[in-house]
Amino acid sequence: MKRSAFVSSLLAGALLLSACGKSESGSSSSGESDAKSDGGAVKAAWIYVGPTNDGGWTTAHDNGRKAVEKALGDKVETTFKENVPEGPEVAQVIEDLVKDGNKIIFATSFGFGDAMMAAAKKYPDVKFEHATGIPNDIENFSTYFGAGEQSLYLSGMAAGAETKKGVIGFVAPFPIPEVVRHINAYALGVQSVNPSAVVRVVWINNWFDPPKERQAAESLVAGGADVIASGGDSPAPGEAAKTLGVGWTGYDSDQSTNFPDVWLTAAVYDWGPYYTEHVQSVIDGDWKKQDYYGSIADGFTDIAPFGTRVTDDTKAKIEAKKDEIKSGDFDIFAGPIVDQAGAEKVAAGASLPFGDQMSIDWFVKGVEGDIPKS
Amino acid sequence: MLRLERRVDVPRWWTWAVPVASVLAAMVLGAVLIVSSGNDPLDVYRRIFESAVLGSGSLSGTVVAATPLLFTGLAAAAAFRMGVFNIGGEGQFIIGAIAGAGVALRFGESMGAGVIPLMIVAAAVAGALWAAIAGALRAWFKTNEIITSLMLNYIALNIGDYLIFNSESSWRLLEGSGRMFPQGKPIDTSAEWPFSHVGPVDFPFGFWLGVIIAIVVWVLYRRTRFGFEVKVIADSPSAATYAGMRARRTIVSVMALSGALAGIGGASDIGDTRHVFDPKGLRQSGYGYTGIVVAALARLNPVAVVPVALLMGGLNNAGRALQGRDFPAGLVGTLQGLILFCALGGEILARYRVRRVAKAVLAS
Repeated sequence: MKRSAFVSSLLAGALLLSACGKSESGSSSSGESDAKSDGGAVKAAWIYVGPTNDGGWTTAHDNGRKAVEKALGDKVETTFKENVPEGPEVAQVIEDLVKDGNKIIFATSFGFGDAMMAAAKKYPDVKFEHATGIPNDIENFSTYFGAGEQSLYLSGMAAGAETKKGVIGFVAPFPIPEVVRHINAYALGVQSVNPSAVVRVVWINNWFDPPKERQAAESLVAGGADVIASGGDSPAPGEAAKTLGVGWTGYDSDQSTNFPDVWLTAAVYDWGPYYTEHVQSVIDGDWKKQDYYGSIADGFTDIAPFGTRVTDDTKAKIEAKKDEIKSGDFDIFAGPIVDQAGAEKVAAGASLPFGDQMSIDWFVKGVEGDIPKS
Repeated sequence: MLRLERRVDVPRWWTWAVPVASVLAAMVLGAVLIVSSGNDPLDVYRRIFESAVLGSGSLSGTVVAATPLLFTGLAAAAAFRMGVFNIGGEGQFIIGAIAGAGVALRFGESMGAGVIPLMIVAAAVAGALWAAIAGALRAWFKTNEIITSLMLNYIALNIGDYLIFNSESSWRLLEGSGRMFPQGKPIDTSAEWPFSHVGPVDFPFGFWLGVIIAIVVWVLYRRTRFGFEVKVIADSPSAATYAGMRARRTIVSVMALSGALAGIGGASDIGDTRHVFDPKGLRQSGYGYTGIVVAALARLNPVAVVPVALLMGGLNNAGRALQGRDFPAGLVGTLQGLILFCALGGEILARYRVRRVAKAVLAS
């Protein structure tokens, strides 16, 4: 419901703006012809840090790109660059994309930020959007991401119901607020159905490193975990889970058909509608700078279909919780929340403020692992 | 039975004709591949050339991409010439970057551009010491340096990760966006290495430094006693020992030289381009390993490393420019592989002839 409200308000805004634009003189129409390439199609480009078939993060973004093509047809011409290293090479990649006439460029890894910002200043006519980026005041630069923590809370519930030993292993990419927030949400979800269960964290210091992700999962199982959670970009922990016969909650992409025996569910992002709206706004010439943070209520984040291991009872509990999150009746970071040392971080009746969520650097009770202090 | 025989009289003009023919052969083979993937080969080659050479800013991009490969290529060439297989360019590059960044962060603000020579020296020494570990193990314990130098790469990578992700080291940015994501602290802008402009092309300082070092290494190997010793030890270690050469010391020296070259590449990475120590980005770039390919293509000739590094840099940039919706990254990689394969293959065919040998002859 809220999603359609969001879309219609966007559309209304779009109409209003385009009306304003038209009432003004030639300037906006020349801008419009500028935005379109010779074929009449607007060119849009994506820059990925991993391969499009990583089965996780990049696959999800590329599905979003395909959704744009499907929705906008010949009004758009998309392209992408995969396996782009975070380094001096990015600048050249962006440069090429601008030269090729792309009018909106999405970059989907945090490490592309500096090059994207530099390019945004250099090419004010091109729109730059940075997933998981840091908000800034560049006019033609937006950031976007979603409240994955809500979905992770729900997948944590599935894990909490699945574990027999009460130990869940979390394969975590980097000790950064985003990931710490996700692990905390996951652990809170676990504890909501299984109060004594713990979540053990292993850092792999990489977004996409299938061998390391798999190794981490194997070592967690060897250490007593009987459910594995992915926080990185590849489904490699699922491979380990499959071999070892333990349950697995994925991340980013629905892998239920590839891992039917071990699949529980996964926190997923639906990038398609966001990308479609934003490419459409470039076509319409009314693109606006914003720092978007989507949620389950927006339809931006969700959980993947359940696997056969999840009981009907658990499914019902999770669905009920999802509805509460959607309606705003349930806040996953509502107090009381205590940290690993047992100190109260959020009082009963209070909630963890959004700003604190964005810079969180402590684990909730029940998480086993350290956050290297910064 | 087929056998490779060294050609005795190789005509002079072959030295340039063979590489050209190899690239042409690669293009023909590549065209087959491109057509079968439903693309137009001429258009693809035009786009490769455009994004590596012709397009505005393309040459600058190629030079920037070539600069780190220049150093890692020289490092590999310097070691391989003596039959010391230093696979550790990757790790030595990273240790050099750590040293270079450390010096720039400590003294950059007060010394300004004066810190640049200090960065180079620090990175060279650090890279040399790192490589000397594998060199010493080889010289005194006959440990296989391929294994040890490779393993040292992982240690170097993990030290890098530790400095940025798991500690409050002075390399790490602890405020601002550094609180959102662990990242290196930028060096002072006055310590950044200068770019020079020749026509429309921007050359990083590190590129010129690499060219000068390439010439120095060439002279060292061709015109000095040290170079002669290296050649003798490479050809026959026992003859060298008989002649009173100190093989062990030379092995360690060559390893250290190789490490120093890769290490300076690390300083150039900090000074020229990244301006922060970024282990994550370095791991993904893998300059050390590409450097081995560069050295092999250059036939271990230090001066030839320069054009080969430019070729590889251009190919890498072109590869990323080509790939897209209808041109998968895998096809780009295959094309690059074909070019390298044909270049190496052509090299072998130029220097050796394939002879059919009767079994009886072999047996006798």
